Amino acid sequence: MRRRPVLIALAAAGAGTVLGGCGTAAPGADLPPGTRDGGHLVFATDREPTCLDPHNSGDMPQTYIARQYLDSLVSMKVDGSVVPWLAESWEISEDGLLYDFTLKPGVFFTDGDPLTAEAVVANFTHIMDPKTQSSTALLYLSPYFVSATALSELVVRVELKRPYSPLLQVLAQAFFGIESPRSMARGLSENCEGPVGTGPFIITEWKRNQEVVMVRNENYNSAPADALHQGPAYVESLTWRFLKDNTARFGALQSGKVHAIFNLPPESVPAATADDKITTDDFIHSCIPFAFDLNTTHPALADIRVRRALVHAADAEGIVRSAYAGVFPYEGNAISTGTPFYDPAYSLPYPYDEQTANALLDDAGWTGRDEEGYRTKDGQRLSLRLPYNSDPGETPPADQTILQNFQAMQKRVGVEIQLLPKDSASLTAIRRDPLAFDIRAGYWNSPTAGVMYIKFSQETYELDNGQNVSYAFDAELDEILLDAAATTDPDLQQRLYSQAQDLLTAQAWHIPLYPIQTRLAIRSDLVSDIWIEPSEGEPVLHDAYLNREGL
Amino acid sequence: MNVVLIRRILTTIASAALLLWAVATIVFFLQHLVPGDPAMAILGGASANPPEETLQAIRDQYGFEDPLLVQYGAFLTGLVQLDLGESYTMKQPVTAIVSEQILPTLQLTGAALAIAWALAITLTLLTAGRRGWLGRLGAGIEVVFAALPHFWLGVVLLVVFAVVLQWLPVVDDGPLGLVLPALTLGIPLGGFLAQVTRDEFDVALRQPFVLSALSRGARTADVRFRQVLRHAALPGIALSGWGLGSLISGAVVVEVIFSRQGIGQVLVAAVNAQDLPLVIGVTFVVALVYVIANILSDAASVLVDPRLRHTIGATS
Repeated sequence: MRRRPVLIALAAAGAGTVLGGCGTAAPGADLPPGTRDGGHLVFATDREPTCLDPHNSGDMPQTYIARQYLDSLVSMKVDGSVVPWLAESWEISEDGLLYDFTLKPGVFFTDGDPLTAEAVVANFTHIMDPKTQSSTALLYLSPYFVSATALSELVVRVELKRPYSPLLQVLAQAFFGIESPRSMARGLSENCEGPVGTGPFIITEWKRNQEVVMVRNENYNSAPADALHQGPAYVESLTWRFLKDNTARFGALQSGKVHAIFNLPPESVPAATADDKITTDDFIHSCIPFAFDLNTTHPALADIRVRRALVHAADAEGIVRSAYAGVFPYEGNAISTGTPFYDPAYSLPYPYDEQTANALLDDAGWTGRDEEGYRTKDGQRLSLRLPYNSDPGETPPADQTILQNFQAMQKRVGVEIQLLPKDSASLTAIRRDPLAFDIRAGYWNSPTAGVMYIKFSQETYELDNGQNVSYAFDAELDEILLDAAATTDPDLQQRLYSQAQDLLTAQAWHIPLYPIQTRLAIRSDLVSDIWIEPSEGEPVLHDAYLNREGL
Repeated sequence: MNVVLIRRILTTIASAALLLWAVATIVFFLQHLVPGDPAMAILGGASANPPEETLQAIRDQYGFEDPLLVQYGAFLTGLVQLDLGESYTMKQPVTAIVSEQILPTLQLTGAALAIAWALAITLTLLTAGRRGWLGRLGAGIEVVFAALPHFWLGVVLLVVFAVVLQWLPVVDDGPLGLVLPALTLGIPLGGFLAQVTRDEFDVALRQPFVLSALSRGARTADVRFRQVLRHAALPGIALSGWGLGSLISGAVVVEVIFSRQGIGQVLVAAVNAQDLPLVIGVTFVVALVYVIANILSDAASVLVDPRLRHTIGATS
């Protein structure tokens, strides 16, 4: 008897594929030499948006892809300054309440309609319309927005309730990409499938759970002022592939099936570094870093001594290093290094210090100890609940390590942290219920230092939309942040935002851990000039070209 | 005979309809027991930041504040008209999403079932009823195969054959891309089917007809293949209906690992996002596949076992 039944099956499968399996996203051998023009680019990412119209909902994957087919009014540079895009120029009134944008002439949406002031007005209306089900874009606009009006064919006026100097940076995000009014009028179900903009690519097909296919906009004439080149994109077509699995995504890059991937898995960093065909590009978002927010409605956490003790005991720098093996940097400040007006003075505010932590807890009256060694006061154990998303897509293994490290560090000073894994629906259910959690982990990406106001102000506390996770505010901090929003003088802004960082650090309402990053891994032997824009860390593929001879 | 047959078919259809109604009802009420506000789910879930007015607008639009029975009534009305509603997150009709995604899943499970049967038959024919190490080896392989978890096997196959050896593409939408996912699903089921088939094969080998066939001068291999296998395959065929169902649940994992289109990925995302219409739609279709698969496996049994042809209609 032949004894290779299994081997036969496997070998047959293998043999059949030797021929076909080598099809890589070929380097430009068959592309015209000496020009950057042409070819098909494949970009792979981890998360798939639920809707391709970034006005709807407002999750990060929407901005990353929307950048490829939508243009915004302005574009933001790494230093936080803003340059023209669809708006050629703009004027801000003395009181900071009126913004007049003059649009670039001769720009057309890919459905053939011209870009006009009316079209831009329609976009603001679309975002503010409840039917659009906007979340992020609406959150930015609603506290300030009064109206948008067309002053002439190409001049739009945006009127605000109160001054908001970060407005331009905010509008640079792809959440505010400008869409064709005709496209938006089709309603959500159709517009989600293929919104129409003025951008460098046009969506041709969205195969759910697989990919979005785009072709070049041959008439593209509205690249931002900071683009590497003007005019149509170099590559003829673009596939935006969804590869959730980390092994598959990195494997596809290694085997050359894709040209670049978003979110290089931390465990693949050594392999990527060792491979001289792969380059990596890390970008630190402008954001409030991933942090533990301490819920001050809990009696123990209402005490600033307890909060400071928790930060001292946490060894935040150590637990980030242990979980992310140095791939993610530690950040101790209220905002990340990528945020305009970041002040390095607060980058390591509470060094690891078990003694100080113990002294602070003693001082706060948590002097008793129960049989398990946890601190008690009036017979109550110092025990804090930390619910987190059990889906590994939302809480990756390294973040789980961070949670466990935090739990272990707090145990050393007698504080119990209960880690409570939850499904997404249960987490959504408790996000506005201060009694249901004591600590929560999260981050907030935003292109301006004004993000501090979104998380730590009386206004968001009273709005109760789940943003002020610490349920805390401070009149002085509010005033400083409102003043900063009211001025466009960079020196004054720096002074005010520094004060805000100082105050936030002193309050210890949250324990910052690491900043959010856009981490690209690129096959640099195959493709060049993929870059990351700074407002939301969106990858830009308009300038990318496939390598070939003669370049 | 015809009347009996028709009655039998009608009974099958009626019980299938009852089952589907029960499935839809259970899922409907289970989803309403899940904590959380579906309006939040529509506006982007736990990471979204909608203001209260927007939330209220959504609740009014979808009638979330109607009494549960009213919502159930509306749901059932839609169901009879085959209108499963619109997905909360994807903003598309559920029927459109499901019909787009069901085909790749059926291709995957079909290929996996074929691999499973090929494995089971090969293993059984070659090693079942053999004395000594060959029989033990076959039985051992089956146990190992049946015990392999999909998520582990999938990643190992991916790393070995796609990333390291590069024999197969990591991702590919054509038939080549189907090989690794189908193997991932098919190998464990193949091990399982082979175990069942082997037991039955051993029993059949001891039947008198084997001895008489051999004494008539038939070759051992012929007897094993032509006569004994027919007997041995029956329980496996009966289990295939269930097997196809288990493959669909396995597809949930495999589709994520290999980034394939399919109903499994949709279901995971829908459950996570509390996308009620989509969850119900997918569950409903999976239940439908179960029903059809069981009818098909019944039919296949009849095909393989001539005895059943006489009992149908005649005696029941």
